[in-house]
Amino acid sequence: MAEPVPRSEPQQSAPVDEDELVRASRRGDLKAYDELVKRYQERIYATLYHMTSNHEDANDLAQEAFIKAFQALKSFKGGSSFYTWLYRIAVNKTINFLKQRKNRTHMSLNDIDFNAEHDPDMVALISEQTPRRAAGLTELQEKLNAALLKLSEHHRLVVVLHDVQGLSHEEIAKVMECNVGTVRSRLFYARQQMQGFLADYLKPT
Amino acid sequence: MNENENNFEALRRLLALKRHETPPPGYFENFSREVTARIRAGETGGTADASNHVSWLFRLLLAFEAKPAFAGGFACTLCLLLLFGIVYAERPDVTPQPLMATAQNTSPLAATTPVALSSLSTEQPGFISSTNPVFNSPSAGSWFASQGAAVQQVSFRLTGN
Repeated sequence: MAEPVPRSEPQQSAPVDEDELVRASRRGDLKAYDELVKRYQERIYATLYHMTSNHEDANDLAQEAFIKAFQALKSFKGGSSFYTWLYRIAVNKTINFLKQRKNRTHMSLNDIDFNAEHDPDMVALISEQTPRRAAGLTELQEKLNAALLKLSEHHRLVVVLHDVQGLSHEEIAKVMECNVGTVRSRLFYARQQMQGFLADYLKPT
Repeated sequence: MNENENNFEALRRLLALKRHETPPPGYFENFSREVTARIRAGETGGTADASNHVSWLFRLLLAFEAKPAFAGGFACTLCLLLLFGIVYAERPDVTPQPLMATAQNTSPLAATTPVALSSLSTEQPGFISSTNPVFNSPSAGSWFASQGAAVQQVSFRLTGN
């Protein structure tokens, strides 16, 4: 009788302190840095994807941001959290990229899975007697991304970080290196703009 | 203001739907590996140099494919080089400058043609019995010496006798 093949499950080791991982990475320990990448890859990628509306661009930018962060770890003084510092690198890289890509917007929606069919908000949106009823999931996704791309990079970033990623005003201020008041005013202005772009989807029933 | 807040709330709910946009399944499983691999590749500069050596040849071949005129020009250049090589190879040897200068001071035919040698020997009746112009002419060595040309001594070995 054949012995059962042991399953290779991931090692459930105790979570290592982030500061310790950063110190080890600074010494060139790629295993430690790999752990840091795993911790933040989803959030960084998501932010960059919502900023670019393009999977390939987001992938390239996220990888480059992690690589640049590793190379610049020696200059990381620890004044802010590693996550905020990493976010700042990724966001600055993306804003520079978007400035170069201006007037060359393209979306690769086919590469992205839109798993919102069972979201209560989505069900409510597409079942109401409004123009959005006719819009399918893909169309709504396209409209949302197109509206975001109409905003300036800084206004888009505030909306993405706050309304999509769920960061607080204070966290956004640290990432963008500005004060909280600036974040609030940018968010207000960006939301107003978005309301205009998505008026058909926001009409009260 | 309340209406605005309500509208913003609806907008926030709409924007929150973007959280459902996710990359292809399994994307994050390889992400960190790719990042660390790129970091390692950046650290080892030798690999990059080797790839550069390959890439210039690859780029040349790509240029041939992309621009036929470039390939034609390259072929023409090679043909011209080949023709030049053939013509150059078939040209007669050019005499070096010092020997040319020597030849201009004296009659070259006098030293090489039998007629000249015979006339030379008739002027010296003591050596008329021999027909060998080199062996029998005692003035041959002095003739070269008188012209100031460098004479290389050679030895002849008679075989069969």
